[in-house]
Amino acid sequence: MANTPMVQAMLGALIAFGMQSALAQGKPKPPADKAPSVQENRPAMSEKSLPMENFHAQCIGCHGIPGYKTAYPEVYHVPRIAGQQPGYIIAALKAYKSGERSHPSMRGIAASLSEEEMKQLAEYYGAPAK
Amino acid sequence: MKRVALALLAFSIAASAYAGGNAAKGKEKAAQVCAACHGPDGNKPSAPDQPVLAGQYEDYLVRALTDYKNGRRNNAIMKGFAGQLSKQDIEDLAAWFSSQQQTALHDQR
Repeated sequence: MANTPMVQAMLGALIAFGMQSALAQGKPKPPADKAPSVQENRPAMSEKSLPMENFHAQCIGCHGIPGYKTAYPEVYHVPRIAGQQPGYIIAALKAYKSGERSHPSMRGIAASLSEEEMKQLAEYYGAPAK
Repeated sequence: MKRVALALLAFSIAASAYAGGNAAKGKEKAAQVCAACHGPDGNKPSAPDQPVLAGQYEDYLVRALTDYKNGRRNNAIMKGFAGQLSKQDIEDLAAWFSSQQQTALHDQR
């Protein structure tokens, strides 16, 4: 397939959307005939009084498998983040959220995170090996 | 016998070309360019928002430095440093930092 910016952007949007819907699976869907209320329309990721053992589930799929590689947009190892400096993890997530860093999957994930959630994830992953 | 030796030689040249980075050269370059902020082995960031590089995946480090160099990843400080690196420098540095066994990075989560 042609690897044009257009195709990349479309695929990126698709992947991000897929993640959002996968994450929203646990939520009951509003009936089709009724427009969703503001309450139901909230992005799934912001309703998290989720405990951390569930919350970092969105990271494990790629960052929790030693040796795992990205398949898109280019093939290389997904970076190790466990033991990384918390301040750097927060900076990276913010850069993805603002669009300053461009990986499509990470932009999709980071866009849904609040600063507090970024901080919690950074502390969780930044902890040293036991 | 000669032929086998030649074949082996050809193979080892091909293999080393594929491996790309030279960790020993990367170590020298790191001492000049990276050490002040990341530590000589990439394990001592000088500020909380700077990453540990020691033990990071080699191809990810190549990706990151290349992105800084060509502006795809935008950081004023890193652009200055990565901009002066050749492709070979980048591969050497990635080989050096990724081969460090002593690292805060781990696979436990």
